[in-house]
This record gives sequence, structure tokens and C-alpha cells, in this order.
Amino acid sequence: MAAHLSYGRVNLNILREAARKELREFLDKCAGSKAIVWDEYLTGPFGLIAQYSLLKEHEVEKMFTLKGGRVPPADVKNIIFFVRPRLELMDIIAENVISEEKLPAPREAHILFVPRRSLLCEQRLKEQGVLNSFTNIDEYILDLIPYDGDLLSMESESAFRECYLENDQTSLFHTAKGLMTLQALYGTIPQIFGKGECARHVANMMLRMKREFAGSQNQILPVFDTLLLLDRNVDLLTPLATQLTYEGLIDEIYGITNGYVKLPPEKFAQKKPGEGGKDLPTEPKKLQLNSAEELYAEIRDKNFNAVGAALSKKAKIISAAFEERHNAKTVGEIKNFVSQLPHMQAARSSLANHTSVAELIKDITTSESFFDNLTVEQEFMTGVDTDKINTYIEDCIAQKDPLIKILRLVCMQSVCNNGLKQKVLDYYKREILQTYGYEHILTLNNLEKVGLLKPQTTTRNNYPTIRKTLKLWMEDANEQNPNDISYVYSGYAPLSVRLTQVLARPGWRSIEEVLKMLPGPHFEERQQLPSGLHKKRKGPVSNMYHFEFAGQQGENRTTLVFFLGGVTYAEIAALRFLSQMEDGGTEYIIATTKLINGTSWVKSLMDRPEAQIL
Amino acid sequence: FYVKASYQEKKLEARIGLLQSAVDEYNKAKNEFAAKVTEEEMRLLRFQRRLEEEKGECLLGFSLHDTISTLLSLGLHKHAEQLYKEFRVPDKRYWWLKLTALAEKEDWEELEKF
Repeated sequence: MAAHLSYGRVNLNILREAARKELREFLDKCAGSKAIVWDEYLTGPFGLIAQYSLLKEHEVEKMFTLKGGRVPPADVKNIIFFVRPRLELMDIIAENVISEEKLPAPREAHILFVPRRSLLCEQRLKEQGVLNSFTNIDEYILDLIPYDGDLLSMESESAFRECYLENDQTSLFHTAKGLMTLQALYGTIPQIFGKGECARHVANMMLRMKREFAGSQNQILPVFDTLLLLDRNVDLLTPLATQLTYEGLIDEIYGITNGYVKLPPEKFAQKKPGEGGKDLPTEPKKLQLNSAEELYAEIRDKNFNAVGAALSKKAKIISAAFEERHNAKTVGEIKNFVSQLPHMQAARSSLANHTSVAELIKDITTSESFFDNLTVEQEFMTGVDTDKINTYIEDCIAQKDPLIKILRLVCMQSVCNNGLKQKVLDYYKREILQTYGYEHILTLNNLEKVGLLKPQTTTRNNYPTIRKTLKLWMEDANEQNPNDISYVYSGYAPLSVRLTQVLARPGWRSIEEVLKMLPGPHFEERQQLPSGLHKKRKGPVSNMYHFEFAGQQGENRTTLVFFLGGVTYAEIAALRFLSQMEDGGTEYIIATTKLINGTSWVKSLMDRPEAQIL
Repeated sequence: FYVKASYQEKKLEARIGLLQSAVDEYNKAKNEFAAKVTEEEMRLLRFQRRLEEEKGECLLGFSLHDTISTLLSLGLHKHAEQLYKEFRVPDKRYWWLKLTALAEKEDWEELEKF
């Protein structure tokens, strides 16, 4: 069920188990049958921790979504509200509770705040006069949710907006807390590197928390050697570009939420022959995506242009395997074949699924508009004409293409040119406002505030320097058999990942100059390990609980890269690629506040007042 | 920027008032561009209302782009022309607009003239 979490270098299943244990403990606190009322946003992330079956074992009989009015009738003793600490949700809960109390036999109410309880919310409940109606008010600390064997996310949608736009550092606090939990389970991380304002904050908080717990030494052998904290605003360019890996494109086009993607059903229709083919299923097809699926693990991080070849190769292998049965002569051979059947059938259906998905994506990637868009992006990234008004953007506005597409392109031009000339910037802004409506001035303001759009202040554009020093543009990116991370964007190597790569070898000292050009401080901290552990680290790794494949890893180092403000699938792919490089010597585990793509990211920065005039 | 909450205001008169105070704030903050654009917005709102009273077409709240394209498809070329000049819409975009609007309406005669 969660096997994919334990395959990797670091067994993330431990983290999941810890989270499950805590959930069970809370559920057992409320004796008797119970119904859970969900804050809808939480159901997705929770699904990654605990399936319904686990809840059922603990006498959860009904589940509802939180809404106004009263909780639907159900014959249970307890009602538990699972909510984020948001004031507007408190009002709804209060409404629920008040109507509950009017019933002849009110049920016991409990609240579980995720990830943290908040005084403000409790105050609000008090004002509504319902605070005392709750038997239990508790918090369920869910900071980092394991997504895959090498991926953790906090799934906090607005983290980037809060940190960089609203100057709200709550999510940074949660990050620091989450990292402390991680260290409690996986040992103290001896080295911390960071780049950016927020990274500095998180590191400071971690060190302070560590001092507060100074009494209790953590005796677990460290699993991670290094922690790298990266601010998203150090690399604003990467998420704006269209991702070109298989998984990245699925996300760009259909959006992946909590490891699931919803796809238009037409392509999958033929798989249900029983329905007579008349009425196509109207429900979107839901597909789970993680590395538990063998085939997907193989192709997810490939450049899309290499996916087709991989799929057809796989198809040949599978049909060859099915052909085997003709050669099976002895009873033993047949038995052997039959025992492999379920596995082969699973492989076949996963192949069919991904072939359909790839076809869907291909329809889009081969379209003219996709190609034009990509061409312009690549021109910007190589620094062609970034200081002029771009005619493609002009045309797109005139045809009223989706606003987010325009914003992504304009922001990209601004980032690649280290700001736009005032005249150019005003022209774009005016065009956007006139075409899409004046209310978007708020959005444009937000984008300026976080630095995605800016007027050029100096005549010096340091992007080309950064690009050259860090080799962000590779002319001959090999998409089929990549030899450099630039394959994930067909030429552009994500800045964030390049920084990570340079840190491992030869170290940041070699790029001091460039680091100074990027926003925010860069720093290095060391955390003392308990003296007993020092010797052990050098000797053979003995703690098999954590190192399942310790024997084969040899001298490899493990680095946890934390992206503050979001990470894209293509960046993850690039880091996985680095992990697999033979001479790399470093394995990467990725953590982030949110998995993003350019669209969802820009959207989180938009302000859209509901305009209605009577 | 807080003044921009004016969008919640449903009555047009009150809204224009709030936008005016937004303009004042922008001027104080020396944000010329924003001030100018907001003034433009007020002009557009007034224009839309006037037209609504005259022709009975619902235009309020549309963006300039949508307003012009609606006008064109209604055959109100003079009004569209007026907006085009008043708001200094770039030629390129106006032609695109006109082309699509006329083609959609299959008003080939007008297209010919143009």
C-alpha cells in the first residue's frame, strides 16, 4: 500500500508511521463511535497518510464535509472536526455546534486542528459561545507529508504568497517544526546550507529550537548528511518555464493534486467493453501517480520526447513475455509463468494507461500554439531581445489568450532581463488591464511586490552572467539519453538545481560572485552531533533500521533539499537525475512547502475581486 | 491599496467615489501609472453607463477589450471608434479585435470597407 515510500535511500515510511500512530492515539481518545467532519482541503493530504480502513478500525462510521447549518444525522457518539486553523471555518463550526445543541440527544464534539491549534481560533469560538462545548481540542501536527520515496511536501498552497507578499512567516515556523520532527526521527543533520531570506529564518529557528531542547541528546545515527534550504525567490525563472518532463507536462496540462490526476475520459473509454460504447463515461478518469507503479517510475522524469520510445520498448518486452507461454513446456515452466501473470497483467494495464496519457499530451505538445509559446520562452532564456516589447505576447493579448499564460511570459521576460524598461513594463500593464479588466491591477501589483515583474533600475542586466557562470543554457541537450540536468526543460538547466549541484561539487566558494547577485544571504551552519555518534559514522553503518541498503551505498552522501515556496516536477526530475549519476556521489531527498507549476504558482499570487455592479 | 476594496461596492456611484479616493492615494504614493489607469477605469465605467442608458445593452463591468468587441458585434462602429481613440488602444490590437468581431458576425461588407 505504501511500499513506494520505503524503496528509497531514506525510508520515509517511518515518518508516515509516526503520523499514523499519532492519529490513532487521538481517535482512541474519543471513546465510542464517531463521525468525522472534514475541512475539504485536508482530505487529499490525509489520504496520503491514512486510508479509510484505518479510520474505520477506530470506530469512525461516517464522514462529512464541513458546511454551514447542522451536521447530518448519524447514529454516533462523537463528532470530530478536522480543520485548518482558519477563522472563517470557526464560524461554520460554531453554527454546526449550536444547532447540534438544540437536538434532544446532542453528540460530543471534538476539534482537531491541523497542523496547529491557534489561540485566535479558540478565541473566536469563545466569542461565539461554543468553546466549552468541545470535549477535546487538540492539534495534529502534520507538517511534512511523505509523497513518494524521495519527496516530502507540506501542501501549504499559499506559502509563497504568505512569505514573500504578505510577510507572514507562519509557514516558515511550520517548516522549522517539520524539520525538527524529521531530525527526531532521522537524526540530527550535521550540515546546513542555505540561500535566501526565508532560508536564513528557518535555519535560525531550527538552531534556536535545538538549543531549547539541548538537554535531550538525539542518539540516532544521522541519515541525512546535509540540509540545503533554498528560497523560491532565488530562482524565480524556473517555475515560469513550461516543464518538459512527462510528469511535468501532466502537471502543466491537467494539474496533479495530492498524487492524483484527473484526465478527460474519452481516451480511456474503450477499456470498458461491457458498456456497449454508447454512453461514454462523463466522470473524469482519476489516476494515481507515484513510483509504486514500475512503469511510471521509469518514465515520469524523462523528457517527453523520450517517453514514446520508452513506451514502445516496454510494449515489446511485455508482449515478448506473454509469448513466453508458447515455449513453456514442462509443468514447472508453466507454473512459473502463471505465477508471473498478475504482475504482467498489471504491467500491461499500466502501459495502456500511460500510452493514452502520452497520446493526450502529444496532441497538445504538437500543436502550433504550444510550439510558439515554447520558442518564445527559450528566446527569453537565451537572452534574445528581452529588452523590447515582444510581438508574440502582443498577439496573445490581442486574441485574449488565458491571462495566466500572458502573465507567465511577461514575468519571464522581466526575470530574464533583470527588470523591464519602464516604458515596456507600462505598455504591457496597460495592455493587460485594457484587455482583461482593470481589476487585475491588484494582481500586477502583487507580481511586482514579489519581484516577478519589475522596472529596470540599473542598466546592468546580470542574468547573462548568471546564465554563463552556472551554465543554465545547454545548446545540445540530449533528450533521449541525458547527460546533464538541462534535459528537463530541453536546454534550460534549472538554476535552483544547478546551485544544488555546485554545492555538492566543487562547493559554493567557486561561485561566490554569482551567489551575491542572487537575492538573499547565503550561509552555512553546523550542528554538533553527540560525541558517541562521531566514531560510529565513520565506521560501518550498523543501524539497519534506517539504512536498508546501507551495504551497497558505500560513501554516498544524502542531502535533503528544501524548497521554501514550492518546487516543480521538472526540478524534482533534475535532482533525481543527479542522484542517479554514477560519479555524483550524492543522493537527494526533496522537501517543499508545495508542489507547484507556473500556472498554479501565478494563480496563488492573483487577486480577483468579485466585481458586480447593480 | 486598501482603497481598492471598492470592488465590493455594488452601486456604481459609490464605486466611482471609492475609485476617486484610490486615485488620490496613488497620487500620494507617487504611483503615476496606477493613478492614470484608475482614472481611465472611471472613464470607462461612465461611458458604459451612458451607453447602457441609450441603447439598453448591458456593458457595465466589462473590460475595455470586451466592451469594444461587444460594440463591434452590435454594429455600433462609431462608439467603438470613439473608445479606440479615447483610450489610445494600439492599432494592432484594435484591428485584431475588429477582424474577429466582424468575421464572427460574418459582416463581410463592413470588413470590406475596413
